[in-house]
Amino acid sequence: MGFTTLALKKPAVTRRRALGHPGCRRLLLLFGLLLALPLQAAEFFITGVHIRPQANVYLLDANVDYRFTEEALEALDNGVPLTLQMNIEIQRKRKWWLDAEVASLQQRYRLQFHPLSHQYLLQNINSGAFYAFQTLSAALDAMGSLHNFPLLDAQLIQEGENYEVLLQAELDIEALPSPLRPLAYITPAWRLNSDWYTWSLMP
Amino acid sequence: MVLDALRRLTSGPKPVLLLFALLLSSLYMMSAATQNSAIFGRLYSLLLAINIFALLLLLALIGRHLASLISRYRQRAPGSRLTVRLVIMFVILAVTPISVLYYFSLQFLHRGIDSWFDLRVEQALEDALELGRTSLDSRLRELRRQSRLQVESLAQESDATARLRINDMRERSEAVELTLLDLNGRIISSSTIDPSTVLPTMPSSAILQQLRRGLDYAALEPIRDRGLHMRIVMLVPNPDPLGEPRLLHALYVVPERLDNLATSVQAAFTQYKELAFLRKPLKYSFTLTLSLVLLLSLLTAVWAAFFSARRLVAPISDLAEGTRAVAAGDYDMRLPMPGRDELGFLVRSFNEMTRKIARARDEASISQQQAEEQRAYLEAVLSCLSSGVITLDEEATLHTINSAAEQILGLELGPSPELSLAELQQRYPELEPLVETITAQLDHRHGTWQAEVVLFGSNGRQVLICRGSPLRGEGKTQGEHVIVFDDVTALIQAQRDAAWGEVARRLAHEIKNPLTPIQLSAERLRHKYLNTMPSEDAEVLDRATHTIVQQVESMKEMVKAFSDYARPPKLQLEHVDLGRVLNEVLDLYQGDERIAIRLDASHTLPHIDADVGRLRQLLHNLVKNTLEAGEGVSSLQLKVSIHCAEKDSCRFVEMRFEDNGPGFPEPLLGQLFEPYITSKHKGSGLGLAIVKKIVEEHSGMLWAENCKDGGACITLRLPVQNRRTADPAGEYYDDENHSADTTL
Repeated sequence: MGFTTLALKKPAVTRRRALGHPGCRRLLLLFGLLLALPLQAAEFFITGVHIRPQANVYLLDANVDYRFTEEALEALDNGVPLTLQMNIEIQRKRKWWLDAEVASLQQRYRLQFHPLSHQYLLQNINSGAFYAFQTLSAALDAMGSLHNFPLLDAQLIQEGENYEVLLQAELDIEALPSPLRPLAYITPAWRLNSDWYTWSLMP
Repeated sequence: MVLDALRRLTSGPKPVLLLFALLLSSLYMMSAATQNSAIFGRLYSLLLAINIFALLLLLALIGRHLASLISRYRQRAPGSRLTVRLVIMFVILAVTPISVLYYFSLQFLHRGIDSWFDLRVEQALEDALELGRTSLDSRLRELRRQSRLQVESLAQESDATARLRINDMRERSEAVELTLLDLNGRIISSSTIDPSTVLPTMPSSAILQQLRRGLDYAALEPIRDRGLHMRIVMLVPNPDPLGEPRLLHALYVVPERLDNLATSVQAAFTQYKELAFLRKPLKYSFTLTLSLVLLLSLLTAVWAAFFSARRLVAPISDLAEGTRAVAAGDYDMRLPMPGRDELGFLVRSFNEMTRKIARARDEASISQQQAEEQRAYLEAVLSCLSSGVITLDEEATLHTINSAAEQILGLELGPSPELSLAELQQRYPELEPLVETITAQLDHRHGTWQAEVVLFGSNGRQVLICRGSPLRGEGKTQGEHVIVFDDVTALIQAQRDAAWGEVARRLAHEIKNPLTPIQLSAERLRHKYLNTMPSEDAEVLDRATHTIVQQVESMKEMVKAFSDYARPPKLQLEHVDLGRVLNEVLDLYQGDERIAIRLDASHTLPHIDADVGRLRQLLHNLVKNTLEAGEGVSSLQLKVSIHCAEKDSCRFVEMRFEDNGPGFPEPLLGQLFEPYITSKHKGSGLGLAIVKKIVEEHSGMLWAENCKDGGACITLRLPVQNRRTADPAGEYYDDENHSADTTL
C-alpha cells in the first residue's frame, strides 16, 4: 500500500475544536471567549510528527515541547497536580460538506511533584503507567515524546480518500483544583495549549 | 405563539421560585466543590457557568420588569407610582441587610482562610518532612553501602557467574528486586521477591543516562500502589577490561511503619502546601460563590419586590380602574378578588357597592319608565278629552296643556310649554279674560272654583266654563293647579234657542191662537152693531173694536217677532263687504230730520262671511234703537265708525255706534241684550236682543257701555275668516269703500 504524507501547519484559529470533552467544556470555552480575554500565545509546540503504517496499524511519532508559565510551575511545586492532554483527531476530508470524523482519541498525563523524594511523578492516565523523575525537564521530555504511538487501524482508512490527522496538546483546566479553575479560565497564564498541528494522510 | 408560551412559562412566581431553588442547590454544590468535595468538584465549572447564566437570566427578567414598570410610570398608568414606591422600599429593605451580611461574611471568610495558615504549622510540617527525609536518607545511605559491597562482589564476576549470584545476593539483602543490566537497560540477570512478577521494575532512561555519565543513582521513589521504595542503581565494573560496565539495580522497600508515617507526613505537607498556594484562588472562589449567593439573593429579592409590589398594587389599581369606570357610569364592572385580607374585603365591598348601584339604577330606570308610561297614558287620556285641561305650577306657569285646550284656545304650544300666564297673555292678548279670571282665582281661593269666561278670538265669541282645583299632592305637584274648561258657546246658543223656541211655541199656542177669534169677534160686533147703534154709541163701538183689532194685530206681530227671534238661524252666508252694507243702510236715514249720522269708515276693510239680510236688520235695529232712545233730544247725533282690527292671529271688523242720547241706565247695563229689557216707552224690547242674536249667529261679540261724555256706545265685532291666500285686491280690500268721515 503506497502512501504519501504531507505535513502542514495551519493557524490555530482555523481548527479549534474540543474533542471528546463533556458539553460543558464548550460552554466554558464560550464563556472564556465572551470575557474577551487576550488570546494566550501558544506555550506548547508540537514538532517531529511522523505517521507511518506498520502491520495494519498507523504509528505516530511526535514531540511536544511543554513550556509552562511561572504560574503553572509554581502551582506544580506547591503540590498542585497538572493534567495535560494530547488531543488527536482523524478526519476524512469532504469536498462539499463538513469533514467526517473517523476517530478521535486523547492521551492524558498527570504531572505531580513529590516533596518527600523531590521527584516529579508522571502518570499516563490512559495506560496507568507511572514514572518518577528527578528533574522536571526529564519528566517533560518523557511526557512530550510519543514514539510508536498506535494511532489507527489501517482498515478504517479507505484508499482514494483524503484524511487529516490533527494534534493538539493542552493543559486541562478542568482537572485543576476547583478553586483554581475560575481563575485559570480567566488568566492567560493558565490557558496553555498548542496550535492544532495538521498532518495530511493520503493512503 | 412560542413567545406567548414562553411568557406564560416565565411569568408568575412558580418559574422564578423554581429557578431560585435550582440556583440555591447549584450554589450549594458549588460551595461544596470549593471545599474540595470530590463529587461536585468535577461539576464545579459547569455549576459556575449555570449559575452565571441563571443570574443573567434573572437579571434579564428583572430588567424586563423594570422596563415595563418605567414605561407604565411614564404613561402614568394607575398603580404604577405605588408600585415604584413599593419596589424601591422592598429593594432597600432587602439590599441593606444583605449587603451588611455580605460585607461581614467576606471579612470572616478572608480572616477564616488566613487563619488556616500558620507559619509554625508550616514549619512543623516541613520539619516533619525533613525528619522523614533524613530518616529515609540514613536508610538509603546504609543500603547504598550495602549495594556498594554487592557491586564490589559482582565486579569480579562475569555476566554468566553473576547471573548465578544475583538471586543469592537478593536473598541475603532486603531488596525486593535485584537486577543486573547492561548500560542500555537490557537485563542480564534479575531476581525478585515476588515470584509472580515476570518483569522487574526498570530504571527510567534518565537514570540510565545519568549512570552512563558515571554517576550512581540512589533515590527514594514512590511507586504506584506499592508505597515508597528506594532505588539504587550503580555501575558494576566488568572484569573483562574490554567489556562494558554493567549496572546493578536494587529496589528496596521502605519499612511499612516508616512508609506509612512518611507518606502521611508527605500527604499532609502536600495538602498544606497546596492549600497555602491555593489560598488566594480559594479566597476568590469563596468570594465568587458568596457573591453569587449575594447576587442570587439580591436579584431574587428584587424580583420578589417587583412581584409582591405588583400583587399588592394589582387590587388597588383594579379599584382605581373600577372607580373610574363607576364615575363614567359603568356599574357592571366586577373586580377580581385578590384574597381574604383587608384588600379583599375592600374589593368585595366595592363589588357589592357597584352591584347595589347597578340594581338601584335599574330600579330607577324601571320606575322612570313606568312613570313615563303613566305620563304617556295620562297624556293620551288628556288628549282624548274634549275638555281643555291645563296645569299651572306655584308661580302660575303653564305646565301642561292638552290638545283640546290648545284647540279651544287656538294655541300651538306643545304639551309642556313652560310659559307663565303673563307671557301667555302677552303672546295671546285675546286670552286676557281667561288669564285674568284664573289669576284672580289663584290669588283669592284655594279650593275648587268655577267661572264662566267669554273670549273673543279668531274663533269668534267663545263662552268657556272653567273649573279649577289645586292639585293635592306632595313634592313637585304641591301648589299646582289644574284647570279644566269647556267651550260651551254652542251649548248656550242651543239652550237659548231652545228656550226661545219654547217661548215662541207657547206664544203661538197660548196667545196667538185666541187672537184670531178675538179679532173675528170684534169685527163681527162692529159689523153687526155699528149700523144699528146710535151714532154716539156707534162711535164708541167703532173705536173700541178698532182698538181691539189693532191691538190684536199688534200682538200678532209681536208673536211673529218672537217666533222669528226663536227661529233657528238659517243664515245665507255670502262674502260681503260690511262697509258697503253699512253705507246702504245708513243712506236710508239720509234726510231724516231726527238724526244726523256721521260715518267714519276705514279705507281697507276685509270682506266677511255673513248673511246680508240679517246684517241689514242688525243695522236698522241699532239705528232705530238710537232714534227711540234719543227721542226728545235736540240735534241727535250718531257716530258710526268701522275698521278692521288685527291682533296677532285674531282679525275682526269692529263697528262702534256712539250717540249723544241719554245713555243706558246703569242698572240695565248687565242685561241690555236680554229680550224685554228696555228703558224706552216704545218698542218691542227685542231690538237689542235680536242684534245680539245676529252678532252671535255670525260668531261675533258685542258690548254696550256709556260714553265718558254721556251717550250710549255699542261696540260689535265680527270675525274675519282667513282668506289671506286669495287675491287681496278682489277679496281682501274694497276699492270703492274708502270714504272717510262722510256725513250723512
